[in-house]
Amino acid sequence: MMTHSMNTNWLVKVATAAALLAGTQAHAQQPPTGAGIQREKTVTQIESGKWTGKRLADGQPDVQGHWSNTIANHNNWTDPQGGVPGDPGRNGPPKTPRSERAPSRVSDPADGEVPFQPWARAVQQDFLKYFHNPIKEQYIEPLARCAPAGVPKSFTWHGYEIRQFPGYVLFLFNSGTRVIHLDGKPHLPENVKLWNADSRGRWEGNTLVVDVTNNNAKARLARTGEFFSENVHIEERYIFNSDGTRYNYVATITDPTVFTRPWTATIPARRFSLQDEPDGWHYEVALANQPAGKEPLIERYERICVENNGPFGNIAVLGAK
Amino acid sequence: MHSTRKGRVLAVLMGGLLAASLATAAPKIPRLKSGKPDFSGIWETTSAAEYDLEPHSGRVDAPPSAGAIDGKYIPYLPAALEQKKKNFAARGTDDPRLKCWTLGTPRGIYYREPFQIFQRDRDLTLLFQFGHSVRTIHTNGTLHPEVTDNEFYLGDSRGHWEGDTLVVDVTDFNTETWLDRAGNFHGPKLHVVERWKFLDENTIEYQATLEDPDVFSRPWTLTVLLNRHREKDFQLIENYCFTLGYDKFYPVPQQGTTE
Repeated sequence: MMTHSMNTNWLVKVATAAALLAGTQAHAQQPPTGAGIQREKTVTQIESGKWTGKRLADGQPDVQGHWSNTIANHNNWTDPQGGVPGDPGRNGPPKTPRSERAPSRVSDPADGEVPFQPWARAVQQDFLKYFHNPIKEQYIEPLARCAPAGVPKSFTWHGYEIRQFPGYVLFLFNSGTRVIHLDGKPHLPENVKLWNADSRGRWEGNTLVVDVTNNNAKARLARTGEFFSENVHIEERYIFNSDGTRYNYVATITDPTVFTRPWTATIPARRFSLQDEPDGWHYEVALANQPAGKEPLIERYERICVENNGPFGNIAVLGAK
Repeated sequence: MHSTRKGRVLAVLMGGLLAASLATAAPKIPRLKSGKPDFSGIWETTSAAEYDLEPHSGRVDAPPSAGAIDGKYIPYLPAALEQKKKNFAARGTDDPRLKCWTLGTPRGIYYREPFQIFQRDRDLTLLFQFGHSVRTIHTNGTLHPEVTDNEFYLGDSRGHWEGDTLVVDVTDFNTETWLDRAGNFHGPKLHVVERWKFLDENTIEYQATLEDPDVFSRPWTLTVLLNRHREKDFQLIENYCFTLGYDKFYPVPQQGTTE
């Protein structure tokens, strides 16, 4: 598992400080392995509609801050809490019945399966078959080499920060950065292909609607190998509740060269704030060093991960600490 | 004839007055609601500083330049100067840029690819096209972290305003970055003070003063101008060039390619 470019001593310090702030003793205990991943079993329903919450000076709903998914990481796309099938290690086959785990991220079709064409299903199965035994370079997920997680995988990979500016929404992910343009510029020429694709958005009430093209399609959706092609067109709807505590990422994914029909992905997320304890996964922040007497403030440190200068590289190059 | 001459004199006088008033008036620059200068936009230098900060003749991997340093040359300590010469000799292989590593502060600012500034009252977010890394300059009165060994690529940046100049104190660096393609470098004690100032609405004067007691005999200052990109529909295009080395392993699957 990747840890990112900074040392971890500040995280410990911050966690302690946050626990004190939250006035709780429970935080002092070391969480069990894997407990850093949220484990909600259901998806909170949020309807598209009016935004009644805070607004920024430019009129955008104010959704700035720190967010992360509430279900699971990117191990498994259609059985998010089921682990990676074939895992020979401690995360072997799930011990609970399927009905006791969170639903598939495929919310349409109703069976929760990605509607692959037969050849594409075979490609996905091939990747999954070799995931734990990557006998060729192509079976190593690009993210493990610090490639951006891309669209939509970034929403299941660590927590992230949203910053908003007139004309823009920025997603600062753990691996990669995404700029949503709200200014109506045309998309880039179609042969420019990008890890984070090219995004044009607009606000409709409580919903950020984003048209996504120019995806280089190299980042698999999950370790289970789901994919689309460079022809993919994604329409994203980020539906926020008005108290600003949750949103659902609902994306319609269309690619006639890979799927038999358009399908919809749903990834629930929640806000993390000062009351939450930094956990090294969903919420990787520090308390700002404030002059005495100021309110506590959370800030994000640089998150740099490139082959051999990021998480692995800092150890390889600088030596383990 | 007489009246024409009078007119000319008047025109010259008026022209002079106009020029004088232009010279004294502060440049009209974009501002946030708070009144602080608003550096939001996409910027890139036309300076050749990133090839080599010091004066140099043209060579196969750099155009000639009179340099970008106040005092012409970097005041290296003797041992550091030897290291710089080694770096220069090995620049064709050892420059972190060739691996597409994050260029650091200040190199990322004068590298010849655009970067975008997004600005709020509390901070400036700098997004670099090259490597697509993100630097935050905090302008909310917060201090450097008490923990000082995070070893950031871009440093920890705390800014404040001196009139219309943004002054940024940057500390806590790692040693994985160079200052240019010529092997100019720094150590872990690097401390950078930047001064960002509009010359006009489309031009920023960027100054960086670097000190490092293990590498330089005294602080020294570089200056470059940053120009606003104003092309129609111009945008940053992410350049995760560190992925290019393994790009070939990830062809997008096509029908008929299954084994």
